[in-house]
Amino acid sequence: MPNISVTINGITTSVREGVTVLEACELAGVEIPTLCYHPDLSLAGNCRMCLVEVEGWRTLAIACVTPVTPNMVIHTHSKKVRKARRTVLKLLLANHNVNCPECERNRNCELQELSEKHNITTNEYQTTPKPVSVEEVSPGVMRDNSRCIMCTRCVRTCEELQSVAVIKPVGRSAEIKISTFMDRGLDGVACAQCGQCINRCPTGALFETSEVRQIWEALEDPEKFVVVQTAPAVRVGIAEALGLPTGRSTGQMVASIRGLGFDRVLDTDFSADLTIIEEGHELIGRLGQALQAGDPNVHLPMITSCSPGWIKFIEHKYPHLLSNLSTCKSPQQMFGALVKTYLAEKEGIDPANIISVSIMPCTAKKYEKERPEMNASGYKDVDYVLTTRELASMIEEAGIDFEHIAEEKFDRWMGHSTGAGVIFGATGGVMEAALRTAYEVVTGHEIPFEGLNVTPVRGIEGIKEAAITMPDRMADGFEFLAGVTLKVAVAHGLSNAERLMKKVSAGEADYHFIEIMACPGGCLGGGGQPIPTSPEIRRKRAEAIYAEDAALHFRKSHANPEIQLLYAEYLEKPLGHKSHELLHTTYTPRKD
Amino acid sequence: MAAGKRLLLGDDQPSIGEALIKAMDMSPADVVFEVRESDIRGRGGAGFPTGIKWNLAGAASGDHKMVICNADEGEPGTFKDRVLIEKMAWKLLEGMTIAGYAIGSSHGIIYLRAEYPYLVPILEKARQDLISQGLLGDDIQGRGFSFNIEIRSGAGAYVCGEETSLIESLEGKRGEPRNKPPFPVNSGYLARPTVVNNVETFAAVPHILLGGAEWYQGLGRDDCSGTKLFSISGDVENPGVYELPMGAALRELLELSGAKDIAAVQVGGASGSTVTPDELDKPMSFSALPPGGSVVVFNSSRDMLDVLENFMEFFVHESCGQCTPCREGNRRLLDIIRSIRAGEIASRDDLKPFFLLADVMKAGSKCGLGQTSPNCFVDIITKFIAFPGDKEGA
Amino acid sequence: MEILTDVNRELGCIPEEAIIATASAVGVSNAEIYSVVSFYSFFSIKPRGRHIVRLCSTISCVMSGSAEVLEAVKGDLGIREGETTPDGRITLETTSCIGLCDQAPAMLVNDEPHTRLTPETARAIIAGLE
Repeated sequence: MPNISVTINGITTSVREGVTVLEACELAGVEIPTLCYHPDLSLAGNCRMCLVEVEGWRTLAIACVTPVTPNMVIHTHSKKVRKARRTVLKLLLANHNVNCPECERNRNCELQELSEKHNITTNEYQTTPKPVSVEEVSPGVMRDNSRCIMCTRCVRTCEELQSVAVIKPVGRSAEIKISTFMDRGLDGVACAQCGQCINRCPTGALFETSEVRQIWEALEDPEKFVVVQTAPAVRVGIAEALGLPTGRSTGQMVASIRGLGFDRVLDTDFSADLTIIEEGHELIGRLGQALQAGDPNVHLPMITSCSPGWIKFIEHKYPHLLSNLSTCKSPQQMFGALVKTYLAEKEGIDPANIISVSIMPCTAKKYEKERPEMNASGYKDVDYVLTTRELASMIEEAGIDFEHIAEEKFDRWMGHSTGAGVIFGATGGVMEAALRTAYEVVTGHEIPFEGLNVTPVRGIEGIKEAAITMPDRMADGFEFLAGVTLKVAVAHGLSNAERLMKKVSAGEADYHFIEIMACPGGCLGGGGQPIPTSPEIRRKRAEAIYAEDAALHFRKSHANPEIQLLYAEYLEKPLGHKSHELLHTTYTPRKD
Repeated sequence: MAAGKRLLLGDDQPSIGEALIKAMDMSPADVVFEVRESDIRGRGGAGFPTGIKWNLAGAASGDHKMVICNADEGEPGTFKDRVLIEKMAWKLLEGMTIAGYAIGSSHGIIYLRAEYPYLVPILEKARQDLISQGLLGDDIQGRGFSFNIEIRSGAGAYVCGEETSLIESLEGKRGEPRNKPPFPVNSGYLARPTVVNNVETFAAVPHILLGGAEWYQGLGRDDCSGTKLFSISGDVENPGVYELPMGAALRELLELSGAKDIAAVQVGGASGSTVTPDELDKPMSFSALPPGGSVVVFNSSRDMLDVLENFMEFFVHESCGQCTPCREGNRRLLDIIRSIRAGEIASRDDLKPFFLLADVMKAGSKCGLGQTSPNCFVDIITKFIAFPGDKEGA
Repeated sequence: MEILTDVNRELGCIPEEAIIATASAVGVSNAEIYSVVSFYSFFSIKPRGRHIVRLCSTISCVMSGSAEVLEAVKGDLGIREGETTPDGRITLETTSCIGLCDQAPAMLVNDEPHTRLTPETARAIIAGLE
């Protein structure tokens, strides 16, 4: 597209034809306030916050949807624009629940920020606020429509990014609200609990179901032995949640969590590695059955099961593919099952007194821990789940100086991290970790990628594919794989997952193994991660994840010394009797 | 009576199909040219030049172009399209067929408002008659041009009179207006190039083709072209539909319909303007007093605050709720109207923020509904409502 | 829309099962169809009476006495607008302009228009509904 000339606030500049007024202003360094706009979503043009004046126009223009035209003359803070923006803001505030101190999003609210920037101190349009109505309660996600400004970012997230589409505008005009089918609430419909809507809500209308209070109580109870696991993506998100730049901060995170009073600070990376061992052997087993025994009933492609939002999605939408899922529990639940068995034995603590907490980038994990089958230890495997954001709020409440705290290390037995475990936090990471291990198991050699970096499965592409051809000489027992080309695919975001599942259902996919993560970018873009999110923010988090991987001594799951110890002392062998009891699970078909 | 020529509802009607056959003797481009030269502007209310619309849709790239008739007249006080369909349904269908020929479309849809279910059989009969006469359907008159028309019903939403909402509704969605661009002529129904015109606009097309652009143009007054149907109701002796030259003075219509003791007149429906007895000589033209299709007369016994409250209740009910100024703004205007009624507003100055709100709604709402709903507030408060704080004689 | 219009006309409302069936026929979520249904005044999810009376509440009808007609009908039926008689005979609704302003006040009974109403004629029309 050719460049055209436009004038913004008196300064003429050249921009690419086809960009919007908003983009042109951004390029020119002019900030336009927005609310319904989000870089991950389609354009709605609803909130009318980004109004600008275009010379020759009868009405004001909406910057986010209006394309620039040659010689357009734009004013972004003329009297007319300023009045309109202030009025729009006041209208949104007029019946908004402005009990900000009670709101989860206090100090991180786009409406609050804009009100501050525009100096809204009085409101001539003030009216009765919408009643507080936590109408949609579910294990992971809550909605309070008294804080909703009808920007529809959640609706577009649910439909466009996630193909779930369970929340929609209902009614019209004064009665309009965002709701679910027959107003059943998120718990009564096919919500995946992914929390992506929370990440894109500009206000506090959507938030996670909090368990912070229960965790403080557990920490304050001397009888309880409180064990915490931290997921890979938390360590690249927590700094952001505390207002610091994105980056690796594992040491500070561990120190801060220990400072909160947890008895053991452990790492979900450990059980990520364990997942790789179990899942890798499961895959090799299925391949063997198919290729060696010629069994036509083997369920291939095998699909990963780490992401509970994805699990709920497939249970609702593709129940006929449940046998394709790996039977492995997610790392969180494997960890939980081992905390109250293996760890309890090693620490010599009565599992009844253990409180098992996990810190996750995820809201669906809150749902997952409530699944009735998740009690293999004889207790609830995971008692409480905190999001990255909730952890940040606890660190703030405790007055811990995260930025300057001296770095510390995880506790032992289930606290050893490998690079393979860390990259679980990024889309493609499970696949990469699985390939690093599986390839070595079946060939006896390291995977032939420079620095073990399986780059074809990295990156932000919605669906990634790779094919790896096995050498002619295999390790003993795996000769059936000689010369076989292993085909894999990776999808992140449930819309991409749906595209892939349609292909699988139609028999158009000849993959052997598929990794799916419910959230765009993988766990680093999870529904429990810091707000805001954008492709740029997720790219930075991914960089931090891969930097952490590269910096670690052990980068392959099977090399994790604590994993080796676990098998030697407790589990005996992958897919063994104890593994099946503690680490594997079943799935439930659900109605759409 | 200097009423001028009646075309749309006149006694002297062309024979069915005459205009279509004449059109098919011309090239599509010439048909568009004729409509363009006639200067006819959309009869729904917004007044976009029809010829330009057809030209854009004709030139747009894309297959399966669509011709859609907006039969969703919902503006309070408007019923001209109902009468036109009751009496001359064939003319609307013929106008649509000519439009199809002109822009290269073979598919038309009539979006009929849910409030007019009893017109479905009338339209259906007219459609069947035209098909049996070879004036609609496949290979019309053996000329190789095919055009089919579907009749579809709305489900009760004023905002669907806005063309992009109407298209959304036809696609089975909520009738929420789209962002423009793209305009329907480039990407409308199912993303196809689409012409949406009002019933009356389509019905005028056969007359334009038969009489010629110049003749049609000459029928109008005050820079306007053609004739116009006006629905008049309220405090008049003979409510009904009247056909006058476009641009005729309001007074002329009031006299024809027997309005007496006129205190106020609402021109162009609830979203139009409220005029005082001093303004009756204004021409009902797009530039002076855009008429839409509706004129409602109020005599001196009417409380204009009641009228305003009724209008604003209507808008609060009918706003789609999508954009902030319209969803929230209409409600706040209704609130303040009720405060005025309750005697809580002492002075006109107290209403300043609400006049500002009205300005913002006009400039910042997404579609015509929110852009015009504050008109009645501004007009009626300014011209008809007295406040305790008003100075004598002000 | 056509499916929904047909169901609504046939049953007087669009029940939950019809929404689910429509959603799966069209291939969209249940919430999507629920959202569409909730947008339009003529659609209802709540079951309605055998006859639906829609009395116009917009300006020309109000000026001609539609409020008195409404009061009379409400009195006879013992229900308020938006409600259905306990015997399931009649649902009473008010509606935005129905384009019969020249014959105000007007109402629609199912698909039939009734015009130039007085409290008496309206009562008689409604009393005559089975």
